[in-house]
Amino acid sequence: MLIPYTWLRSYVDSELSPDVLAERLTMAGLEVDRVVYGKANLATGELDTWDGIVTAEIVWLEPIKGSDHLNATRVTTGDGKELSVVCGAPNIRLHDRVPLATLGAKVGGITIAEKKKMGVLSQGMLCSPRELGLSDDHSGIYILPPDTPLGVPLAQIVGEPVIDLDIKAHRGDLFCVTGVAREVSAFTGKELHLPQTALREKGTAANKLMKLEVRDADLCPRYTARVVRGVKIGPSPQWLAERLILAGMRPINNVVDVTNYVMLELGQPLHAFDYDKVADHTIIVRRADPGETLTTLDSVTRQLTPEMLLITDPAGPNVIAGIFGGERVEVDDNTTNLILEAAHFKPTNVRRTSVTLGLRTESSGRFEKNPDIELTAIAIDRAAHLITELAGGEVARGRLDFYPEPVTPREIPFLPSQVEWLTGMTVTRNECIENLQGLGFGVRDGGEGADEALLVTVPTWRGDVEESADLVEEVARIAGFDRIPSTIPVGPLPEPLPDDWFAREDRIRDILVGAGLTEILTYSLTNRLTMAKLLRGADAGEELLLTAPVTGADERDTGNATNGAITTTAASTRALERRQIEAIAERLPAITLRNPLSTELDSLRLTLMSGLLNTIRENSKHEDTGLWLFELGRRYLPTPELADGTGGAQERRTLGIALAGPLAHTWLGDDRDADFYDLKGIAETLLDGLMVARYRFVPAQHPTFHPGRCARLEVAMISDEAAGQSAGATPAEVIWKTVAVLGEVHPEVADRFDLSERTYLLEMDLERLFSVVPEVVKHAAIPRYPAAQRDLAVLVAADAPAAEVSETIQAGGGALVRDVRLFDVYTGEGVPEGKKSLAFALTYQAPDRTLTDQEIEKTQAAILSALRQRFGAKLRG
Amino acid sequence: MATELSEQELALADVRQRAVADLEQIGTTEDLEEWRTRYFGRERGEVSAILKGLGKLPPEQRKAVGQAANALKAELEGLMEARGQELRAAERLAALDRERLDVTLPGRRAARGHIHPISQTIRDISRIFRLMGFQTLDGPEVETDYYNFQALNIPVDHPARDMQDTFWVVPGQILLRTQTSNNQIRIMEQVRPPVRAIVPGKVYRHEAIDASHEAMFHQVEGILVDETCTMSDLRGVVTRFAREMFGANRKVRFRPSYFPFTEPSAEFDIDCIVCDGKGCRVCKYSGWLEMGGSGMVDPRVLRGVGYDPTIYRGFAFGLGIERIAMLRYGIDEIRLFSGNDLRFLRQFT
Ligand SMILES: [Zn+2]
Repeated sequence: MLIPYTWLRSYVDSELSPDVLAERLTMAGLEVDRVVYGKANLATGELDTWDGIVTAEIVWLEPIKGSDHLNATRVTTGDGKELSVVCGAPNIRLHDRVPLATLGAKVGGITIAEKKKMGVLSQGMLCSPRELGLSDDHSGIYILPPDTPLGVPLAQIVGEPVIDLDIKAHRGDLFCVTGVAREVSAFTGKELHLPQTALREKGTAANKLMKLEVRDADLCPRYTARVVRGVKIGPSPQWLAERLILAGMRPINNVVDVTNYVMLELGQPLHAFDYDKVADHTIIVRRADPGETLTTLDSVTRQLTPEMLLITDPAGPNVIAGIFGGERVEVDDNTTNLILEAAHFKPTNVRRTSVTLGLRTESSGRFEKNPDIELTAIAIDRAAHLITELAGGEVARGRLDFYPEPVTPREIPFLPSQVEWLTGMTVTRNECIENLQGLGFGVRDGGEGADEALLVTVPTWRGDVEESADLVEEVARIAGFDRIPSTIPVGPLPEPLPDDWFAREDRIRDILVGAGLTEILTYSLTNRLTMAKLLRGADAGEELLLTAPVTGADERDTGNATNGAITTTAASTRALERRQIEAIAERLPAITLRNPLSTELDSLRLTLMSGLLNTIRENSKHEDTGLWLFELGRRYLPTPELADGTGGAQERRTLGIALAGPLAHTWLGDDRDADFYDLKGIAETLLDGLMVARYRFVPAQHPTFHPGRCARLEVAMISDEAAGQSAGATPAEVIWKTVAVLGEVHPEVADRFDLSERTYLLEMDLERLFSVVPEVVKHAAIPRYPAAQRDLAVLVAADAPAAEVSETIQAGGGALVRDVRLFDVYTGEGVPEGKKSLAFALTYQAPDRTLTDQEIEKTQAAILSALRQRFGAKLRG
Repeated sequence: MATELSEQELALADVRQRAVADLEQIGTTEDLEEWRTRYFGRERGEVSAILKGLGKLPPEQRKAVGQAANALKAELEGLMEARGQELRAAERLAALDRERLDVTLPGRRAARGHIHPISQTIRDISRIFRLMGFQTLDGPEVETDYYNFQALNIPVDHPARDMQDTFWVVPGQILLRTQTSNNQIRIMEQVRPPVRAIVPGKVYRHEAIDASHEAMFHQVEGILVDETCTMSDLRGVVTRFAREMFGANRKVRFRPSYFPFTEPSAEFDIDCIVCDGKGCRVCKYSGWLEMGGSGMVDPRVLRGVGYDPTIYRGFAFGLGIERIAMLRYGIDEIRLFSGNDLRFLRQFT
């Protein structure tokens, strides 16, 4: 909202300079974006701001040899530097102060650039009044008064200040100059002078000259009209045209300009019809008929719907109510008689129609902010008065005023002590009354003393003020928020809540950063194709990428689509693959946006994996060391409530990890590309760090991963009683729950994501994980009796899972075996074909005694026998 | 006869002279051991031999020679000890010198990753508010129209909706939250006062992405409700926050503003951390930086969650996390946060 400073001051006697006024307005809640300086250009109808043109002084002047009129000058803007400017004007003298167009500024459509004239560098241009649009004078450079400050934008010297306000939508009353003036009056205490609205009426009564019929009062609670006859259309006087331009509107003719002027002045949009073009001189306000159209003044034919309100006559529609006029009944140069309209339309309906049609006008912007319904009569009188002053003619007697339900001003009982109760700021009863009255509120004080409520009448233009708290704000902001003290709340603290996810995720973050991983943060919005690229011809499943496609090791994926690739060309394989990806994408249960920014970002992610792989690819373009990354974020799964529109998604907190390449390059020569065991080691470090008691990795099949390098991470669900005992519970008593899947990205998937290196991925569902993370760790006593170490190296089949061998040792050894640690895996010389040697270090210990050799040997034998039975294991010699 | 030196005494003098001379020539601890054997060896040591021969001397000589021999022994042993110490020190020094490293070679670093600057900022914000008794909570991002708008006093057709262009999942019903303020309602519905919580998280706006706008970014919402707080507590809390985050003596300015769910409403600014309030490009020459929105919880909102606004008072505030991180780290391009370029991320903790 542009408020010309001098126009504003015509209603309030404020002496404040533009900058100080801007600061005061901001601090009263009317945020000033900036103070613009400019001059109304009546020829172009635009505001000249002369961007890049500043005041400068000529500090050196010499004719250029070989030129009959060019001078070489050096000018300064007072910053200690000098610029060389060539100038052809005859009137400049040393030490003249002049407008300098600096490089990049535009003068008469030309952008000033550095160039050479007659071999002399010119780094700008000195301007004549005509070049600046100030007058027709082009006889020489515009010479400024000698006391003009240097380096100041020219607009600040010859232009007028305009305050650019960012008014919030709830204050419909501030979209006009008098509204802002009322605020200035309130916080400065200076008197407000509202414009003259008295007028002289003549001749026939208006209601004999025209008819008004409002059929849809729900959308038009008030419609006020007047008739003005005998006007002469012509240009507006200079003062009015200049004010319109300063406020950002273009002058058209005296009648249209008056309607715009009154709108800017009072906030009430007005419309002027050519009386003689209105069929039967009858205005009918009604909803549009189905299929009805209207060609608006911009020559666009608009499709109307019955939700839209029209101003019509018996011949058809004329105006989309409150938004935009049509051509048929517009005022033109030959118009002599007018119907003036000042109406109040239902704000939400204006807003909807304006959004539907994509039409925003000065008028619609005001109507949708609920202007004062009482304003129509005042504004129409003000406009009629100004029209007769500027365009002649006479105002017919009386207003037509459809206003079936006049509003009654709201009354609110208000205790001044509420200001301190809510804000902590002390204000007196008198100050309350003054501040409210300054803003136009009526205040009745029974005079019964401080405990008595004031009865406050809310002016009709303040529809936003509904209750006591709103009045507190009015009093406080006029008093000044800088009077609010600064204290620390002393109230009681709430009880701590369970499930502190912030702390949980922070622990994970610390552990992973300590392990060398860097955190990334990707968009939760993605698209289905990107996610489908993760799934190699597999069933995408109904629930989520993480668990559904994970099947046991025995259910091998046999339907591999690329088996047939030998007989087809690479191109047709790609086309086939593309179709398969698209088919999977369609079946993904992703939540899709109805109004995405782009198809790239149209769905919520079901997995963190694609974001991680994309980040690996993008960074591999410039990184030469490895990329060890993680992300903590949510996956968004659909729910029945979401489909009904009654509830949200299942938002599952998730951890994703991706590794590719060596963690670091060092001169020590120990670089090594990331492998599966790095990833697994990170998972183990994490679980140990979170004090997860028991977990295991089980070979798994997953459509994203290498079939031989994929595992499911399971954690043991232990009931509360079991948790109290030692970790020696037999596996049968434990429920294993999958919390993560991890492995090497399948080469086909890696190709789809253009990954150049073997990449390892993990995705972990944190909500499941934290069901087994202990809140508090209970300490166990340090063993009092010595431990004994024994090694055990056995030969087993090469494909026997080491974890199962280890579990068998633990089970076979029972409670005396405190720890089993694998320390060597060996194949080669001395080990038969098809076998491998696994070497374990066993720690024996009992809580209540020192173990004897006999006991230990007996247990070793039992373990060996269990291994023999389960794996056909032999002791390695 | 007393001046007459005996043969043994002459021998002792000779041994002493040679032993001292030899000792001076010795360069290693091994040679020193050889020297010891030569003079003190049990079998053939020259001093030992003299001592062994004492028994053959006449008794009147035995005492004098014995004393002289023992004195010599003590003297030579002392010299040997001293020499030995010197040699061992020299040899240790030589050995250590052979182990000399180039200490300017890079160390074998423990792997260390980096926390994303947004996470780090949330962490710091959380720490600051925790000191003032605020718990850090979270809430849903896929939200109903009710919690994101209606319960916050933003009915359908409210112009405030224009400023928060919304991603819709089910038009008019389910959306991606446009503000973390949805959690004000969710928290107040779940607990009775006192309430003190902050809720950091992702929010979404249907906005064209450019250097200062993202369609997904982060906010933190704060809320406090009890029977005693006022706007001056709000001012104290955000002032404390600003000073913990941006340095002691930071000025905080409260400006009246408008939010549908607070009354009175205030925006708060801090004096520009770049120019200390003198005016610069970052603060658009105003000397102030906008920090966030805040206010006393609107009585309509309190009634909506079943709190009696004549008993309970509360305040709420909202901050943009990217903006805080950008100011703190001097970043002028918001897209760097979601760009995940390691060359950017490695610059942080
Ligand atoms: Zn600054």
